[in-house]
Amino acid sequence: MIPERAKALLLPVAALVVLELWACAIHLQSDSLAPPSAIAAALVEAVHDGSILIATRDTLISAFAGLLIGGAIGLAFGIALGIFHIFDRLMEVTIEAIRPIPSIALLPIALIALGFGYRMEIVIVAFACIWPILILSRAAVGGIEPRLIEVSRALRLSPADRVRKIIIPAALPRIFLAFRLAAGIALIVAVTVEIAINPIGLGAGIMTAQQALRPDLMLAYLLWIGAVGYLLNTGLVVAQNHLFGRAALVGDPA
Amino acid sequence: MNRAVFYWRAASLAVAAGFIGLWQVVANLRLVSPVFLPGPDRAWASLLRGFESGDLWGKLEGTLAHMAYGWFVASIAGIALGAMIGSSRTMRSYVAPSLEFLRPLPVSAIIPVAIAMLGLTQSMALFVIAFGAIWPMLLATIHGFAAVEPRLYEVARSLHMSRTAVIFKIALPSASPDILSGMRLSLTVALILSVVCEILAGLDGLGHWVLLSARSFRSADLFAGVILLGVIGYLTALAMSVVEKRLLRWRSSGH
Amino acid sequence: MAAATRQAASFPGPERSQIAFSDVTLALGGKIIIENISLDVKPGEFFCIVGASGCGKTTALRLAAGLYQPTGGTVTFDGKPMLAPRRDIAIVFQDYGKALLPWRTAAGNVSLALEASGIAASQRAARIDGLLKKVGLPDHAGKYPAEMSGGMQQRLQIARCLAQEPKALLMDEPFGALDAMTRQGLQDEVLALVRASDATVIFVTHDLEEAIYLGDRVIGLSPHPGRIGIELRIDLPRPRDQLRTRENPEFLRLRRELFDFIKAPEK
Repeated sequence: MIPERAKALLLPVAALVVLELWACAIHLQSDSLAPPSAIAAALVEAVHDGSILIATRDTLISAFAGLLIGGAIGLAFGIALGIFHIFDRLMEVTIEAIRPIPSIALLPIALIALGFGYRMEIVIVAFACIWPILILSRAAVGGIEPRLIEVSRALRLSPADRVRKIIIPAALPRIFLAFRLAAGIALIVAVTVEIAINPIGLGAGIMTAQQALRPDLMLAYLLWIGAVGYLLNTGLVVAQNHLFGRAALVGDPA
Repeated sequence: MNRAVFYWRAASLAVAAGFIGLWQVVANLRLVSPVFLPGPDRAWASLLRGFESGDLWGKLEGTLAHMAYGWFVASIAGIALGAMIGSSRTMRSYVAPSLEFLRPLPVSAIIPVAIAMLGLTQSMALFVIAFGAIWPMLLATIHGFAAVEPRLYEVARSLHMSRTAVIFKIALPSASPDILSGMRLSLTVALILSVVCEILAGLDGLGHWVLLSARSFRSADLFAGVILLGVIGYLTALAMSVVEKRLLRWRSSGH
Repeated sequence: MAAATRQAASFPGPERSQIAFSDVTLALGGKIIIENISLDVKPGEFFCIVGASGCGKTTALRLAAGLYQPTGGTVTFDGKPMLAPRRDIAIVFQDYGKALLPWRTAAGNVSLALEASGIAASQRAARIDGLLKKVGLPDHAGKYPAEMSGGMQQRLQIARCLAQEPKALLMDEPFGALDAMTRQGLQDEVLALVRASDATVIFVTHDLEEAIYLGDRVIGLSPHPGRIGIELRIDLPRPRDQLRTRENPEFLRLRRELFDFIKAPEK
């Protein structure tokens, strides 16, 4: 019996070996493909001279700043909409009208208003992050066990106390989940903006590599971007399990 | 739609109209430069102009064509591959972990590779859109096929159902909620990638329109384009949810 | 504990057996679930299996269905070994909700069995109507399983099984999830359906009275590993009646015997 771990690695490892052999056999000369060994070498070099690390820093700064800003707006609105149903119903049309606008469509607006650089990217990422966090935190607040609300009334908690002691802790696991999902979106949107037009970060790095006809470096960036996304997601999953354990999955406080 | 729902909808519409009014006031008072923020009146005028002259129709069709093509190809390939992988436990254990690893990868990162292979062309765009739209479909379909109630497979064995019959009469309907939600995500991805590719490669479409308007500081045209993109997003999501409701009628009945 | 050592449950008789277990053992994941079970179900017989939870009665049923293969011994149907499920053996599962297609109506679910048997579309409608009438669901053809009560869903599953025109009906605690009144109604319905169709029935249940009420023969399995511990021949008059049969002194005697067996300490 092959253990599960080995099975999971079999496909990627086999693919890499096959690609390497094939590339060597045909003496690959191409603008778009490079043998895995060359990709690895380019990656090592880019780490060594710091270029890819700086790019990573830039992308992550934009992504996180956008996540925090968009997240704060989305969270505030989401909680308010979850608590005050009147507010929720009145805002329905407005939210449903703005939500479908793809964040990337704002790119030109942000471009002319803010020019190239961090700010424009952060604004677009923030816009993209508002919606998943708003929707999910609204659902998280709305999904709080009604029994808990009754308890808070029986205990005669003040509104502020009710929010602080009952609503936020009860909704917290699912709010964290919302942020975890939004973090993935933030990274994707940041990289996309950089690829489309912004000359900073990992997206710009991969585009530059392509334009310089360096497929090894380009694919190295691609791999690195994937790894960053994977690590980010895994790290957040670990944090989620650590902080909330089963609670994040079940939705009530432990 | 009963009375209460109707009234709330109307009130909500009124609130939205209020926001538009606020936007108009801000534009009139020039609190933000009209170069960046046109009033809704100018955006609307630009929309009408664009459609009358036929320019915007062409751009709209361009974006829709890109989306549709990519989404179609992705749906067929995604469902077929997903069905194959999802229904076989062996394939799942070899392939699923790699797919999970690729899930958080920003799919736009494939764009430079596509450009390297195909240049700044229409084919590049179609490749990117199809490639990007396949992922949500594939992952959702795999999940749907993997989650088929095993008891139903036993019923199928007992009835001596053929392999095709099992796939089309049991696995596919069982996976359809997941597949449909994957399709919805695919549509969103297809729209985004269409816009990005149009911006990058200068292809005919709303993305290109919006970029050109920005470069020439024609803010009214720019906003008209953005609004249209929002409308596309809204209508495609609406269409999907109508289809979902019809096909998934059996879910909402009973408890 | 004379009954505990009895391994075989077969009666001398001129009739051939339809479903036969010959020294059947099944081990799963290192544990022996049932061991050295031999039994003989005659055609048209109503054969009940009872026992405490975990004694392997469901396992025995699944072996008879061909869903499992024995680790030792053979399971035969009409003399031929059961290597895979047969179309003419219908299985009624306990979890009816999971055994019905939620996206098909009642008619659609019954149709599934007819489609699998290759019945032409033109003939299906009439058969579906007849089957739904037989199980008392004539007006519910267009309903989805989720819109039906537990008892109705189980009847629907039975209708689908009858659509297979089965020679044998294997029922795995079919009424276990239902309330007592529904259960009694369905017991009588099953008896009527089976009498009309002459099918052989293997019926697994944890309800001892149900087994005696329904069956021609009842075997009790003792657990860990599952072996036949007792066998009773039920000579109560047919048709059975919920009140009269259950008050019959013979019924009470059999009930007593079965209760004592289940309650008796293991080994």
